[in-house]
Amino acid sequence: MSVFSRLRQGDLHSLAAPYALDALDPDERRRFERHLAGCDRCAAEVRALSQDAVRLAWTTTSVAPPALRDRVLTAVRNTPQDPAPGQDAARSRAPHLPPHVWGTEPPPARPRAPRLRPLFAPLATATAAAALVVAALFGVQAAQTQDKLDAERAQAREIAHVLAAPDARASSDADTRGRGIGVIASASEGRAVVTLSGLDALPGGRVHQLWLMRPHAHPRSLGLFDGDTPLVASGLDRKATSLAVTVEPDGGSPQPTSQPVVQLALQSVGFGQ
Amino acid sequence: MRVEADELLVLVAGGDQKAFEDLYALVSGPVFGLVRRVVRDPAQSEEVAQEVLLELWRSAPRFDPGRGSALSWILTLAHRRAVDRVRSARAAGEREQREARRAHHPAFDQVAEEVEAGLEREWVRRCLDRLTALQRQSVTLAYYDGYTYREVAERLALPLGTVKTRMRDGLTRLRECLGGVA
Repeated sequence: MSVFSRLRQGDLHSLAAPYALDALDPDERRRFERHLAGCDRCAAEVRALSQDAVRLAWTTTSVAPPALRDRVLTAVRNTPQDPAPGQDAARSRAPHLPPHVWGTEPPPARPRAPRLRPLFAPLATATAAAALVVAALFGVQAAQTQDKLDAERAQAREIAHVLAAPDARASSDADTRGRGIGVIASASEGRAVVTLSGLDALPGGRVHQLWLMRPHAHPRSLGLFDGDTPLVASGLDRKATSLAVTVEPDGGSPQPTSQPVVQLALQSVGFGQ
Repeated sequence: MRVEADELLVLVAGGDQKAFEDLYALVSGPVFGLVRRVVRDPAQSEEVAQEVLLELWRSAPRFDPGRGSALSWILTLAHRRAVDRVRSARAAGEREQREARRAHHPAFDQVAEEVEAGLEREWVRRCLDRLTALQRQSVTLAYYDGYTYREVAERLALPLGTVKTRMRDGLTRLRECLGGVA
């Protein structure tokens, strides 16, 4: 028997206080929010109770770790904002965001009839927030097949993992022709997520290969790009000074055979020391 | 601070990154403190606080001043994220881990003071003291510890209806006690 069938409509009103305290499980929360959307009296009551609940937070104020500030401000510089209400946020973002950004709830396929929005808009998942930064930075393309979807999900986890590192930093650069490279890297973990944008389409039999440049050492291959998909690189040592991308024959080369098409210094993301 | 946060959030909604830095200075302490109280694990708390503060930037254009103060909105956001995280951690973690954490984590009254006690903090505490024990426990187990009202009912061995009523009465009494201190 589901939670729902145990709850008659009349009982929903009694959930206002638990809702204000975030004390409903996800199913009940959704059900209550649907109810709220059509019940002005409840909405006013919940708003008042929520204001009361927020006062409880006054006792918990603390000091945020200084490193948090750097990470948040870096992310903010690279993250676009949602459109203001009136534009449909979900639909306007949908065309250029990959499915994993949406988690298990894809945006509606067609416009819905306007209705009251819930008092507090539901939040994206943690992974979605991380993936959004990446998608925003790099314009990740939507996947078509289940295999690719699974691969992207696995990759989203990798990306979220790199982003969650305490020292994760982001950096990007583009030349005058709009050819860009972006990175989110953690020096402590020696990992980075690298994405390209605006590069010329490659003729058949050629690939973009990523190189790690270090002082007094040969470039080391970090892997081959698969179209627009971000490349997750590991084993980066702290002495690394920059990343470079060259065009190589299919399968890649042991050492670069052409001049880099894009390059990015790694100092601002904690390397080269 | 509240008025200031409201004004800054309007600027942030327009894409003003400098205003976001100022807003960050105002709200990062309350956000991190609240998340830390609910999530408890320091590393996870930082992660959640980071998500919340980034969400604040992203969602600022959707903030509707007619629906409440900026600070309330931000702390509501932070609380929900923190509660979601602690619940998924509980669901994933082993029972003994949960027990250990419960035993380790001090009751509300003994929470260590990490910063100087503000007037508001003292006021809320005094008002919490004026609730009945069941009202206080129902409210604090939900808000500070992230338990659902069903879990609270189980822990306090009370019927569900009683817990829902205690939560409502507790919040209402808190409102009366705090009066105009909004």
